[in-house]
Amino acid sequence: MTQASGAIGPAAPGSGAAGPLGGGPRGSSPAARRLREQLIGWTFALPFLLVFLTFMAGPIAVSMILSLTDFGLRDLRNPLGTDFVGLDNYAALLGDAKFRSAILNTAYFVVVGVPLTLVLGLAAALALDRGIRHFRTLFRVGYYLPVVTSIVAIAVVWRFLLNPDQGLLNMLLATIGIDGPNWLADPTLAMPSIIVMAAWRNLGFVMIVFLAGLQTIPAQLYEAASIDGANRWQSFRSVTLPLLRPTVLFLLVITTIGYLQLFEEPFVMTDGGPLDRTLSISMYMYQQGFEFFRQGYAAAIAWILFILVAIVAVIQFRLLRSET
Amino acid sequence: MLPTRRRTWAFLMTLVLVLAACGTNDGNGGGDATDAPPGATAAPGDSPAAPSDVEVSGDLTVWAMGNEGALLGAMADLFMDEYPDVNVSVTPIDWGQAVTRLQTAIGGGQTPDVSQMGTDMMGQFVATGALEPVGDAFDPSTFFESAWNTNVVDGAAYGVPWYVETRVLYYRTDIAEAAGITSAPTTWDELKAMAQAMKDQGGARWGISLGTKNYQEYAPFFWSNGGQIMNDAGEFGLDSPEAIEALEFYDSFFEDGLSPAEVPEGFDITPAFVSGTHPMFFSGPWHVGLITEAGGADIEGNWAVAPLPTKSSATSFVGGSNLVVFQDSQNKDAAWAFVEFMARPETQVAWYEEATVLPATQAAWDDPTLAGDENVAVFGEQLSDTQAPPAISTWNEIANAINEQLEQMTVGNASPADAAGAMQEQATSIGTGN
Repeated sequence: MTQASGAIGPAAPGSGAAGPLGGGPRGSSPAARRLREQLIGWTFALPFLLVFLTFMAGPIAVSMILSLTDFGLRDLRNPLGTDFVGLDNYAALLGDAKFRSAILNTAYFVVVGVPLTLVLGLAAALALDRGIRHFRTLFRVGYYLPVVTSIVAIAVVWRFLLNPDQGLLNMLLATIGIDGPNWLADPTLAMPSIIVMAAWRNLGFVMIVFLAGLQTIPAQLYEAASIDGANRWQSFRSVTLPLLRPTVLFLLVITTIGYLQLFEEPFVMTDGGPLDRTLSISMYMYQQGFEFFRQGYAAAIAWILFILVAIVAVIQFRLLRSET
Repeated sequence: MLPTRRRTWAFLMTLVLVLAACGTNDGNGGGDATDAPPGATAAPGDSPAAPSDVEVSGDLTVWAMGNEGALLGAMADLFMDEYPDVNVSVTPIDWGQAVTRLQTAIGGGQTPDVSQMGTDMMGQFVATGALEPVGDAFDPSTFFESAWNTNVVDGAAYGVPWYVETRVLYYRTDIAEAAGITSAPTTWDELKAMAQAMKDQGGARWGISLGTKNYQEYAPFFWSNGGQIMNDAGEFGLDSPEAIEALEFYDSFFEDGLSPAEVPEGFDITPAFVSGTHPMFFSGPWHVGLITEAGGADIEGNWAVAPLPTKSSATSFVGGSNLVVFQDSQNKDAAWAFVEFMARPETQVAWYEEATVLPATQAAWDDPTLAGDENVAVFGEQLSDTQAPPAISTWNEIANAINEQLEQMTVGNASPADAAGAMQEQATSIGTGN
């Protein structure tokens, strides 16, 4: 930039009186070029910006406003006529026992589901990285397939699997003399069933990321460890885990954020039941917003969920960063 | 070269069609009254409504849900035979998306002219202010009273009944006979005894299948015991002594192990009924076809339907669909003409033959097509004593609260009195939306 303005600079000397005035346009010719460059830059960014503003920033702002109103069926034809109620929706949520149980259910799902998914994913990645020599591609595809399969197809298959009378799981249990329970209809077993299904479904993604992480660990480190007399467990503890820390952090944050928004699994498998035991925050939001059309209330739930996700993510970052 | 020639050809064909169409119109307008003139067929006074004297024309968009969406085209063709100037296009909508699609259409000001609407959806859509009031062109007494009432909000009707459904008892006659019972239960006590006998002596795994969280199955017991969901003042009666007694009776089937409390989401009763594990259940007319289809010859003659058993009455649930016209419709005359056409007894019979849904117009039941079928006759008998939930905008939410409390009672440990108290409390706090 400096070079460019210097090169054009000599052209400046000209008419005396008009100097300060005329100097403007002439001296602006680098500025004009900068402007043009900026314009080109913005033009390239414009498609994204438009999409972002229309479909992300706009709706986010609207949902914020919505959460301060009692927007409902009556306001459908005249959205601007809705009444502002301040923080009433948020205050009502504090006293809403069903919302509280939705938070607890979601917490249960995250606290058990995230570690389970990560541990299983890591185990699968380790097995594929070093343990299994044959059919690696087959296993990788096998573990990853659930990630790219439609949730509806998965739900159909899992309902068959978990069917109390004709389900494969209970038939297997019956061969060893156990009378299998009604997995999805039993209030205490419904959430664990959903957790197992979610872990199985997300295992593939976690495994792929772990595999990539494992492959960045130099083989020399393992050699050095084995020369020092470390057994497999010790080299896993002292070499693999510490070097996987960034991968773990990434997966922990991504999986937790995803699991906090639990929706699809209970939506297709249990509809939040039995006795609301699998009702998640997102499902409650959907119910309020689209079944009862209390959009203001649903928007307030969405914002509380957002704040929860943000807090959890920040805490996770802090914890794992401070340890490294 | 070829595209141009093709375009010319297409243009000529279009021209021919346009000319032909004009010709037809001119022909009809010019006379020849014997050959299906548009206005004349609609004119006879025996039709229930009157908008037929208006010349109607133009495009008409009709939304219909599920199976009806797939089959309505045939009815639309009949309508267009009578009103050749109207061009009806039917848009099939999936039931699962019906509410959202309608809400989006209303919010975006892009409503169809006419839509099918489930009777339990009326309250919430009347509240949006998007529906056109029916006015006095239709005579309420030609329809089943409870079906008509699903359209009425604050004294004004916003839709016209299209078809109805009501719940009756389905039971396995062979299992009943094995248990020493030869006739359908007529009282609550007989129903209970029959469920017990079918399980104990009939060899069935359960006595009866009752919904663990479905107000539509509980409400008939509540109504038959003299309960009233909401009175004229908008006060709920969900914890009345009648309600608690009905809940106690309902819960006793679960407490006594006659009805399964653990029912998986999406449980299908049809195969369970056919295989005989669940020998009784309450449902609407669609199960007649489903059972015949699933059971085939094996089950023929081994099952029957019967009206509800009586307590202080034998009041069942009435559902079905209405037809509504939207305020934003650009072609309201044609829209009402279509609704009037669909409500005629002869159209209702034709629609029954097409879609096997029960006519909402009472006169249609005199037709031999319906009167001759003994299963259908049971539904016809039951329809004379039915009720529908109140048409209030918050009904969805209240129904959800009732369902949850039913589940707390049938699956959980809540007592009938506690469940009734919680239903009442939640319904009152949700309110009627006014």
